[in-house]
Amino acid sequence: MPSQPPLPPLLAPYVTLLPESSLTLASSILGATSNWLVLRFLHAALSSPSLNPAFGADETQTGIKKKVVLVSFLRSFDFWKTEAKRLGLDLGRLAEKQQFAFIDGLSELFYAPDASTPNTSPAGLGSSPRTTLPLRSPPGVMPGRGPPPAAAPPRGNISVTRAQAEPGIAKKLHFTGRGLAALDLIEKNIIAVIEQQKSSVEEIDELVLILDQPDLLLAATGPTMGIGATEIAEWVTGLQQHAHATVLTLATDAPLIHNASVSAGQPATPIETEHATFAIGLAHRARSVMQLRTLETGAAKDVSGVLRISRGGGWSAGEEESWEEKEVLYFIQRDGGVSVFGRGES
Amino acid sequence: MSFRKRNIGLSPGVDRTAVPNAATQPAAPETPGIRPSPDDGRPTTSTGTRSLDNLLAGHAGLPMGKLLLVEENGTTDFAGALLRYYAAEGVIQEQKIHVVGVPEQWGRSLPGLIGSAESLDEKRSDRRKDDRMKIAWRYERLGEFGAGVAGSRDAPATPGAQDPATKEAPAFCHAFDLTKRLTHPSITNMTFIPITPSKESPFLPILKRLQTAISSSPASIIHRIVIPSLLNPTMYPPDACQPEHVLQFFHALKALMSANTTRVTAMITFSLSLYPRSSGLVRWIELLSDGVIELCPFPHSADATATSGAATSQEEPPQGMLKTHRLPVLHERGGGSDQNVGQDWAFILSRRRFEIKPFSLPPAEGDTEAQDASAAGGMPKKSDLEF
Repeated sequence: MPSQPPLPPLLAPYVTLLPESSLTLASSILGATSNWLVLRFLHAALSSPSLNPAFGADETQTGIKKKVVLVSFLRSFDFWKTEAKRLGLDLGRLAEKQQFAFIDGLSELFYAPDASTPNTSPAGLGSSPRTTLPLRSPPGVMPGRGPPPAAAPPRGNISVTRAQAEPGIAKKLHFTGRGLAALDLIEKNIIAVIEQQKSSVEEIDELVLILDQPDLLLAATGPTMGIGATEIAEWVTGLQQHAHATVLTLATDAPLIHNASVSAGQPATPIETEHATFAIGLAHRARSVMQLRTLETGAAKDVSGVLRISRGGGWSAGEEESWEEKEVLYFIQRDGGVSVFGRGES
Repeated sequence: MSFRKRNIGLSPGVDRTAVPNAATQPAAPETPGIRPSPDDGRPTTSTGTRSLDNLLAGHAGLPMGKLLLVEENGTTDFAGALLRYYAAEGVIQEQKIHVVGVPEQWGRSLPGLIGSAESLDEKRSDRRKDDRMKIAWRYERLGEFGAGVAGSRDAPATPGAQDPATKEAPAFCHAFDLTKRLTHPSITNMTFIPITPSKESPFLPILKRLQTAISSSPASIIHRIVIPSLLNPTMYPPDACQPEHVLQFFHALKALMSANTTRVTAMITFSLSLYPRSSGLVRWIELLSDGVIELCPFPHSADATATSGAATSQEEPPQGMLKTHRLPVLHERGGGSDQNVGQDWAFILSRRRFEIKPFSLPPAEGDTEAQDASAAGGMPKKSDLEF
């Protein structure tokens, strides 16, 4: 089996060139998750052109330098770390170099365990003196050891008690209270990390924000807690303003989209209507929509699913014509490699 | 790289104790009931049902830190049987079981132990040996095709060249008898978490108890979280099925399991007749689970011997269909490359086993009549003339 390049050539133009203030929507369903696509976005932004990533990418890379802030609501950092390692990305080291920041929306979002209190003391000690140092780790540093210098908050007014508890995780989000106030707090926390990433190195000019399944926030709260599609959409807009480009993944399973329509026959529940409103609204705002789904004809041994790339409602007319809409098949191999190919090819 | 090809290369030479060293999973060999996945070396544990283990995307077990959701249509309780096997297996392996929402009688009705799953299979194949057509010895080693899931990797290791180390290795999966009751010293190791009415989410106390139980126990203890008939209105208060309660619970459970990723597994059963798959809430529950399988029992399995897919008269007829919607780890990565995905599976629950095998329709039996009629050249038969 020939090993696949980390970034399939067919896919490359769609995940590398993200214009300013653009929103890219990646939609997934139950049987076709978007994690591999997010990893391709990570790879496109973070991988250094030099062959050996261990030797300072800063020197070899001229021109645009990209940073990524990944906010994940459904997956732990461990998952992203192991999967990125298969692509040759060391997220732990990248976090130390302040090229990458992970914001954990999984572990303590709704229920913060009390057991993490012992972790706060080293974090509190570590944070204050490091803020002033323009740290760049020596190349030989092992990833995942000790408190990460990357994660130090620039300003003290935001509560970041257990922020640096685990290496590589810049912040853990908490959902406290209800309604807009809770969303604002989360937004503030994410923006703090973004701003701190921006401020760390001067020559940075592109910061890609990846929001992994923020639709969970909507589903798990809902209108009874004062959060609807409008609020979440505004929340996304607020975050978008601070990033060069935004990539957002969300679920578009049929029950979540189609039940809300009038023709569905049965009255839709709030979770369905709000989700549909949110997803459709985003698709209208997005520059491009990458839609993942399984094969209509059933499962196949050499195809994982279908990827449809289309222009979204936010496509500006003046953009280059070379960007074409496309529908391709993809296949995830056991080793994590992805091959992307047209129908009928292999 | 085809799955089967590697399977052959792996199985006869490599014994189970050697794999963890190669895969650098230091904790795996010492803990009973945990073994590294043949696919990528991550620790897995058994669901107590061998054919279900084999269904799980080549890992031959439920990977640690993963949550398996078993959905069931109709009023039968096949999923409950799977759950009891899962709990019973945990008792045998001396893991800590947390059962949510049911009284302690549930724990007393766990199925009794027969032996290891391998021993049952050996017995079965002995019994069959006489009345089976002889096939070449080298093919026989490959295991019984059709009897288990195609990815069954244990079959080749059983006969022939076994070094003493594997012989002594504790069984990974056991066989249970549904008509007997489990008696095991560590059966007291189960905790039952009742659902207490509370002003906020009814799941909050459950989470708190799980959290404290897991974080306060030593790192060597493996936990199993067992949640029978989630959201069943006879057990759960009406507001439990509010999305903000149940989805936050799933999210927090996922967080809890990813924080203790080597120590916890969970299995949850769920009735689709109460909450159909076409609703957004159920879809979100599925999206938050690592593995989702659906059981669709046939409506009249008792009298369906003739029509429902037994290949020969000796085989038991399947009692229902099984669909895999999502498999742990595989779909998290993007899915698709497993041979078990998208197949039609049938399941058979008998006294001693829950078996999952490929579903196939038998030759239509009604056709014999039509053949007879055509052979007779259109002449009406005697039976047709008499009233």
